Amino acid sequence: MTAMRVERAPTSSLLARPESGSWRSLDIQLAFYALALAIIGLLMAWTNSTEGGPLAAGSTFTRGLMWFAVAIVAFTVSAAFDYRWLRTFSWLLYLVNIGLLLLTMAIGIEINGAQRWISVAGLTFQFSEISKVLMIAVLATFLAHRADRIKSLSTIVGAGLLTAPPFALIMIQPDLGTALVLVAIMVGALFLAGASLRWMLLLAAAALATLPVIWSLLLPYQQLRVLSFLDPTSDPTGAGFQVAQAQIAVGSGGIFGKGLTAGAASGLLPVQSTDFAFAVLLEELGFIGGLVVFLLFIGLIWRVLVIGWRSESVFGVAFAGGTAAMIVFQMLVNAGMVAGIMPVTGIPLPFITHGGASLVSTAIALGLLQSINIRRARAPSTS
Amino acid sequence: MNDYVLGQPEPPRTKLGARFAVFGLVIVLVVGLLTTRLFYIQVVSGGYYAGLAQDALSTTEPMTAARGLIYDRAGRPVAINVPSYVVRVRPGDLPFTDRDTVVSRLSQLLNMSSSDIIQALDRNANQRYEYVNIATDVPEDVARLIDEESRDLPGVDVETQEAREYEYGPLLSHVLGYTGAVTADDLADPDLQPEGYLNNDQIGKTGVEATFETDLRGTYGSEQVERDVNGRITRTVSIDQQPVAGDSLELTIDTQIQREAQEALDWATGIVDLTRGVVIVMNPQDGEILAMVSNPSYDDNLFAQGISTDEYQALINDPNRPLVNYAISDQFPPGSTYKLVTGSGALMDGVITPDTLVQTAPYISIGPYKYWDWNKRGFGPLNVTQGFADSSDTFFYQMAGDLGADRLAYWAQQFGFGQKTGIDLPGEVRGIIPTNDWKQSVFGQDVFPGEVYQAGIGQGYDAATPLQVLNAYAALANGGTLYVPQIVRRVLAPDGSVVQDFQPQVLQQVGVSQDVLETMRLAAREVVTTRHTFNLVDEPLVVAGKTGTAEFGTRDAEGRLPFHTWFVAFVPNFTATQSGDPAKTDSQLAIVAFAYNSNTKGNAATEIVKYFLQEHYHLGVDLTRPDLLQQDNFYSN
Repeated sequence: MTAMRVERAPTSSLLARPESGSWRSLDIQLAFYALALAIIGLLMAWTNSTEGGPLAAGSTFTRGLMWFAVAIVAFTVSAAFDYRWLRTFSWLLYLVNIGLLLLTMAIGIEINGAQRWISVAGLTFQFSEISKVLMIAVLATFLAHRADRIKSLSTIVGAGLLTAPPFALIMIQPDLGTALVLVAIMVGALFLAGASLRWMLLLAAAALATLPVIWSLLLPYQQLRVLSFLDPTSDPTGAGFQVAQAQIAVGSGGIFGKGLTAGAASGLLPVQSTDFAFAVLLEELGFIGGLVVFLLFIGLIWRVLVIGWRSESVFGVAFAGGTAAMIVFQMLVNAGMVAGIMPVTGIPLPFITHGGASLVSTAIALGLLQSINIRRARAPSTS
Repeated sequence: MNDYVLGQPEPPRTKLGARFAVFGLVIVLVVGLLTTRLFYIQVVSGGYYAGLAQDALSTTEPMTAARGLIYDRAGRPVAINVPSYVVRVRPGDLPFTDRDTVVSRLSQLLNMSSSDIIQALDRNANQRYEYVNIATDVPEDVARLIDEESRDLPGVDVETQEAREYEYGPLLSHVLGYTGAVTADDLADPDLQPEGYLNNDQIGKTGVEATFETDLRGTYGSEQVERDVNGRITRTVSIDQQPVAGDSLELTIDTQIQREAQEALDWATGIVDLTRGVVIVMNPQDGEILAMVSNPSYDDNLFAQGISTDEYQALINDPNRPLVNYAISDQFPPGSTYKLVTGSGALMDGVITPDTLVQTAPYISIGPYKYWDWNKRGFGPLNVTQGFADSSDTFFYQMAGDLGADRLAYWAQQFGFGQKTGIDLPGEVRGIIPTNDWKQSVFGQDVFPGEVYQAGIGQGYDAATPLQVLNAYAALANGGTLYVPQIVRRVLAPDGSVVQDFQPQVLQQVGVSQDVLETMRLAAREVVTTRHTFNLVDEPLVVAGKTGTAEFGTRDAEGRLPFHTWFVAFVPNFTATQSGDPAKTDSQLAIVAFAYNSNTKGNAATEIVKYFLQEHYHLGVDLTRPDLLQQDNFYSN
């Protein structure tokens, strides 16, 4: 310990922040990785814009560009925003979250049998995506409040009770994938914040035991998707067909890929199906392209965790844990689906999948992390 | 802890460090797993998937060949191809959950019953990724609507295909037949396998469309195409084999003569309400059919456009069976027209000579049974010419009795009765000629003498098609050559060159001497000149022929039977200066008319032939006798 302390001094001085929170303490690496991923996402939107070309009004690319701008603004505003206000607002945020999901139920547009989208001024928006970042903030606030009782069972139960209503509302839409992202966020935040491992494992075991019950609650098409994942030949035109086609598309990309736009032109995948944007990327940019994306994600998550670590607060740690868990879980499920090792669930891959809400939601989460990072140094300065 | 300050005791933090480490490890594992998987798919198996991608994209597609056209003998197109909008469904692309809404919307747009659509969808239930045609010949506005609504109609698409159009509709239906969608049975037929029929293909169902299917269909080609994920063809890679358009047919039918025959039959039908009738016109010198009309008819365009179940049921349930070609597909007692057989046989076997006088009577008895002459009085002593002209039943009872069942049958076979003529149309029946063997095999006993009498006048067991009756008289007219009646003259390649030129085909030579045939021709002329056919003799045209009245069915309250009427005739060749001579074998035209269940005061068939001849030869007179077409029970043999 003492040895560490010796070494620690220069490190902390290196990391020391000036008196007031400053834009100079913005985590440049995090911003860079996020920007790089977002630009790759735009590139994919460019190659996937089919009818009328990428510059046509309303094309995937122009819409992506617009959401990109919105995300930059959301990121900047979130970073500028003093995250500590979130504690004051957290209950309000939670109610807004529930309200938006209820609104989706009431006036949402039904596409392919699921009511997930709200149409505003001609743009469809998925509030369940925003629900993710709101839940990260709400859970982080909750865990910060319970810092002294973090090990008790009631902490886990409380987090579960907070997560349950939005989880249920999203399940009803029905959107199993996004609902599971909320669970991942909760587990990530609890784990990193230091909740009791024993109780978490026990409750996880109990949850696994209820799987058959959940199975019976799944809608036939969801059951079909799981089944078709287990045996892709069982439904060669439906979900299984997409999985098989995605495998062919990805596999035929090889090491270096077929080149930009070659994947969209090959017609192996329906480009409208944004969930498979990563498959198109792998087809066009190959294994190398996929590797670059993975490395950028690793870098991004690394920075998220570093910010959490450095925040030295339960709020910061939990927020980082939730955000990292969200990104990793979505990577696992989306990229896993594209690679044929996960069922088709319709979860977007952050940045890469064309979807405004997902991008803005991720931008807000990363912006708030920046806010945590910027304002981290203030606390020590008061002591 | 949230106000944790550097420098304070750190135990919780080291524990937290462990959690960060575990968390980081999980992330590395997840990304490692994904990377390994991608490495396996993209790098290790990349080549395999690249091959699959090529296969998934490029498929071999058949290229349909344009169906051959059909012309009449004057070169008038009678069956052509027209572009038509076809609404198709690939059942595999139609989710089961959307099926009801899609079917009901299509039924609304296409004005079809839902059950018809479902039936079409399930036609090839085991091949869900092959298109099935739901409706052909869809109006353009409906096709556009369906195209616009394609978002809400998964699996449905609109395509332009060539559809058959029959220029004359019902006039030529029985000859041309029609094309229709192939059935599962057709597809399973081993004979058709090499032809490569597609699930949504058309095939000739009946008529020459069916008998000349192989010529008309052509040879399908194949091409390599690339498709996108929605199954739309994006690019043609290569054409492996160009399709070859089908050959065209030139019929022996002359549409003009066909129309005259149809008009004559319809004229009589309009007066006496004939339920069924046939007129066939033939060139006796080569067996070419110039006209073949069978009433009632149907519009073959209904089938070409995809007939609805209701329309089809209506045709099937019509008691007069419009789909049956009565010229060849049903057999009737030939009545007195059969006396040609009995007379020729009696002369050939020496039962009589042309000059032998035979006593006729009101009736002839066998035991308790009386066999009446048709006029119930008899005609006194007659030679064969007079017997034929008066159509004396008692004369021919005696001839048949002397010949016996088997000799009578022998001469019938000489004239082509009891066997198919071999015309290139589907569904021909052979007719019945009673022999002792035949009756033994069917009833276990010989033909009774009374039945031999009946057989001698074309009644009893005798059954023949109108075409057989015509063919027998054509052989009489041409001096004894029985031809295979021909319906198609030539097969023509798409460029117009002749692929096949059908020469007259001799079925057999009638084993009757020229003398006897001449006697019978003159006797047939006597039928007309003795006014047995009323005023037919007054026409400015030499015609010879034979009437027939064939009883059938069950007797009415007054003991009378309903009857069909026949008239079969030939027109000896003539010029502007030279009228025809029935003694010669140079007739250019033979005709038969058959009026089913006519029950007319006079011979309805004779009136029909008279009407036709006036029209066809522009005789410039109107000697038709509508009064003879009034319903009555007057026997006019």
